[in-house]
Amino acid sequence: MAELEYSSADDRVLVGAAQKGDTDAFEELVARHRDKIYARAFSMMRNEDEAIDLSQEAWVKGWQRLAQFQGESSFATWITRIVINLCLDELRKQKRRRTESIEELDEEAGGVERQMPAITTNPTERLERGELRQRIDRALQQLSHEHRSVLVLHEFEEMEYKEIAKAMDCSIGTVMSRLFYARRKLAALLADLKSEK
Amino acid sequence: MTSMTEEQQLRLQAFLDAELPEKDAREVAAWLAGDAEATRLAGELRNTRRALADFKPEWRVPESREFYWSKIKREMDKSAPVQAPAQSVSLFTLLRRILVPLGAVAVLALAGIITLHQVGAPAGHPVQVNAILADAGGYTYRDEAQGMTVVWLSYPAEKKLADSPSPDTLPQK
Repeated sequence: MAELEYSSADDRVLVGAAQKGDTDAFEELVARHRDKIYARAFSMMRNEDEAIDLSQEAWVKGWQRLAQFQGESSFATWITRIVINLCLDELRKQKRRRTESIEELDEEAGGVERQMPAITTNPTERLERGELRQRIDRALQQLSHEHRSVLVLHEFEEMEYKEIAKAMDCSIGTVMSRLFYARRKLAALLADLKSEK
Repeated sequence: MTSMTEEQQLRLQAFLDAELPEKDAREVAAWLAGDAEATRLAGELRNTRRALADFKPEWRVPESREFYWSKIKREMDKSAPVQAPAQSVSLFTLLRRILVPLGAVAVLALAGIITLHQVGAPAGHPVQVNAILADAGGYTYRDEAQGMTVVWLSYPAEKKLADSPSPDTLPQK
């Protein structure tokens, strides 16, 4: 039997080998997708150590549940969903641990940004790609975990409202409200950052 | 200060996200075309969405491939294997697999020896059936009048023995 060439093998081939217990095949999958999985964890947690730990935990869970992977989605999508669920669990635990602030309660209800007039100019216009990245990165940093999570799941993972509601264990109405607030807050933050310059 | 209600704002957002049913979407589109404030809000939401679509973060694992993998591997080794372990074979089963054929051979050899010893024995002895090496499920049928011994074996021995009464002797003719 021909030996498997890990570096050039398709994800599906590697998954098949890993499902039979081949840890080298699994290591190749980790090497291929580790940055994406880490980036998703970091986008939600905004903390390097937590993102590393959660992304590694996701890989271990992925290994343990590999027999359940049927190939209905791509392997990358499947393992991304695992890390998202772990991040949401961690955020819920953190929320339970800390005392809710008045500001957070206000955010949940919609906050002052809901009442703001619309920002008519595009705050990111004529920005270089690197500068745009930095600005959005800083703005995302300032959102609460709940609002950032909804934004990440909708904009980056392209999940529908009902999928987000299921993942976050909340109603579709809450998802819509959080998403709206997050977008408005982000627009305001980007506009502020532009005026600072 | 906006004059739009929260419900209107969320409906507008859902329209832009293509989350509304067709009929509702047509209604919102008509409203949007004639409402300046709604148009401005839609413009802002679209701009934010575009900015995020262009946002390609370069967050990379700040650890080497080997170091990152080593922690995962350590945890994998501690946890259950990816697939169900191969069905374990008990020592009893293993011994049975070896001993039953060996026992059968031994029974045959023993029967051969008995037959050789009985050739020429006086006639008129009763028919006898003996269980020999009962664990291996072997029996002998000896007809001394004919000077003949037949050996038969059953497998699996345990089942046969459990299902049938002890055939130590058969009624004499």
